[in-house]
Amino acid sequence: MRQALAVLSLCLASPAIAGVDAALEEHVLPEMDRFATATEDLAGVAETDCRAEVLRPAYHDAFDAWLGVSHLRFGPMEEGGRALAIAFWPDNRGMVGRTVARLITDEDPVVQSVRDFAEVSVAGRGLYAMERLLYDPTLAAYGHGDYSCALAVAMARDLARLGRGLARDWQAHARSMETAGDQGNVTYIGPREAAQALYTALVSGLKFTADQRLGLPLGTFDRPRPNLAEARRSGRSLRNVILSLQALEGLATALADRPIPETTAAFARALEVARALEDPVFAGVTDPTGRLEVEILQQRIEALVAPVTNEIGVPLGVSTGFNATDGD
Amino acid sequence: MSTRREFMTALAAASALPSLSWADAGSPAFLAAAREPDGTYALFGLDRTGADVLRIPLPDRGHAAAAHPRMPEAVAIARRPGTFAMVIDCATGRLLHRLNAPAGRHLYGHGAFIEEGAVLCTTENDIETGEGRIGLWARDAGYRRIGEIPSGGIGPHEIIALPGDVLAVANGGIRTHPDNGREKQNLDTMHPNLSYVTLAGGVKESVALGPELHKASIRHLAAGDGVVAFAMQWQGPMPDPAPLLGFHRLGGAPVLCAADLTEQIAMDGYAGSVAIAGGRAAITSPRGGRVHIYSLEGDFLATLRRRDVCGIAPDGANFVLTDGMGGIFSTIRTTLRLERRAERAWDNHLVRIGG
Repeated sequence: MRQALAVLSLCLASPAIAGVDAALEEHVLPEMDRFATATEDLAGVAETDCRAEVLRPAYHDAFDAWLGVSHLRFGPMEEGGRALAIAFWPDNRGMVGRTVARLITDEDPVVQSVRDFAEVSVAGRGLYAMERLLYDPTLAAYGHGDYSCALAVAMARDLARLGRGLARDWQAHARSMETAGDQGNVTYIGPREAAQALYTALVSGLKFTADQRLGLPLGTFDRPRPNLAEARRSGRSLRNVILSLQALEGLATALADRPIPETTAAFARALEVARALEDPVFAGVTDPTGRLEVEILQQRIEALVAPVTNEIGVPLGVSTGFNATDGD
Repeated sequence: MSTRREFMTALAAASALPSLSWADAGSPAFLAAAREPDGTYALFGLDRTGADVLRIPLPDRGHAAAAHPRMPEAVAIARRPGTFAMVIDCATGRLLHRLNAPAGRHLYGHGAFIEEGAVLCTTENDIETGEGRIGLWARDAGYRRIGEIPSGGIGPHEIIALPGDVLAVANGGIRTHPDNGREKQNLDTMHPNLSYVTLAGGVKESVALGPELHKASIRHLAAGDGVVAFAMQWQGPMPDPAPLLGFHRLGGAPVLCAADLTEQIAMDGYAGSVAIAGGRAAITSPRGGRVHIYSLEGDFLATLRRRDVCGIAPDGANFVLTDGMGGIFSTIRTTLRLERRAERAWDNHLVRIGG
């Protein structure tokens, strides 16, 4: 009897949610490592040859890896403004273009040190600032010895520093998520809080892709905004949607503690439309047919929220924030 | 003004009955609404450590509560666009009165007492015109509706009583119609303001921000040290580093506050509640999972991180915070300390009783 009680109390003290461990081990930590490696590679290439055409393949790899983690906007991702320093988008006030232009015009010596460059505005760092340098035709023709060469190296090294920091800090953060609800855990106080954080990331990620990655270029019927498509300069708008869906499906599959047939089918339906779309930067939103195709993709992504709620949120006993979603 | 006359008559009619005090209700220091694990709603009274001292079931989701200044009575007000408010005897846990918004009106979720607790004021929508109203209820006449006055704008949300029975009202500026839930009808033309209103004199001062901030909906208020702190919610494109906190002194110009770019953006354009304590003001963002603390001069002091944090109230020189996962925290200078965790989701607001 005593032994049985001991086992019981152990269970009560640590009602580990299998999906949390799986999501961390199969999704979060490997994807963080992949981003760290890809940004390290980008910095390595930049240090060897900083020219735009040389950097572009490694840049794409780093951006691809970012889509594996871009939805995990909590914990270490939120420390020191990391998420914005890596990905300052949407940029409603045009801050990225202005900040990059100012750095170049001033030939700001801040690029000479990784530590100094980390103090530059988040709008002048990260993947979107680097996109200007590598793809804006007025900026991308720089050569060795130009200021922009040093700027590209500084941006790549800064990304690598951020990637390293994320991979390192997520190791410790994963431990605190695995022990959610334990005495002394000051970050995840209740046993379900870690699952809730991952679930919120999943649902917020779906909404972000539907509302921003697709919603911004769609604009309204009377005023479509193709110039607001994410990473259109590097031709990545649709690619980002596909990669974000794949990453979110990876998180959903790991986090669920039971089969999720409706969710899996809904991801397949969304990805099918996305892969069939022959419009890499959503330029077609300005004509009715092209617009309809992007709207259908948006609807397929919006349609994921219901099965994700029913098959993952409800069984785990979690929902997105009670107050965060109230809006009053 | 007939409203005033009726109210004075009602006041005179109330006799000096022997009465209970908040001590008879277990001396709660705070009131907060919550959702229970079984999906039902209740209003809780908490002591200074966050322990339950009373629990009263609510018929639906609450929002904020108004505590009577002397008597152990609390008014739990329905979440927008609800039409009910419940007056609860906190000493016995009994429902004393159920207030129903008059035809053509709905409540916005907040209320405040003036005239030493004789009059309850609630923020309301005149549904047909969309104009903001302050509903008046005579406490000593069984919370009879005795009239209403203009709030000075559209979409009044939080209302607080200042010394001298001046009401500060956050007119959020957003027009909604209950037939369309919370759909916002006038985002392009909205003009929020902070208004100071008295029963006798109406709107005596109205503070609006510049045209570039016309989409910063002024929603929540706190007062202390002669200043009113107002918290905002950004209705323009997101993300955006628009300010979410401002300070105002009667007769003066508003002072707007912001943290650095990344912290400001991380608040997600949303402040859910505001409080003043110990010469500092703090706003909560459940969406950003953050609390921002400022000096009353407007200097950014610190960020505290906690997901779904929203309720905030002063406790001496520090703040007490509640979140949607059941957590209750206190601040010690600029750090967060867990006080306790309950199996319930604390709703938007934590209301301090007394001082």
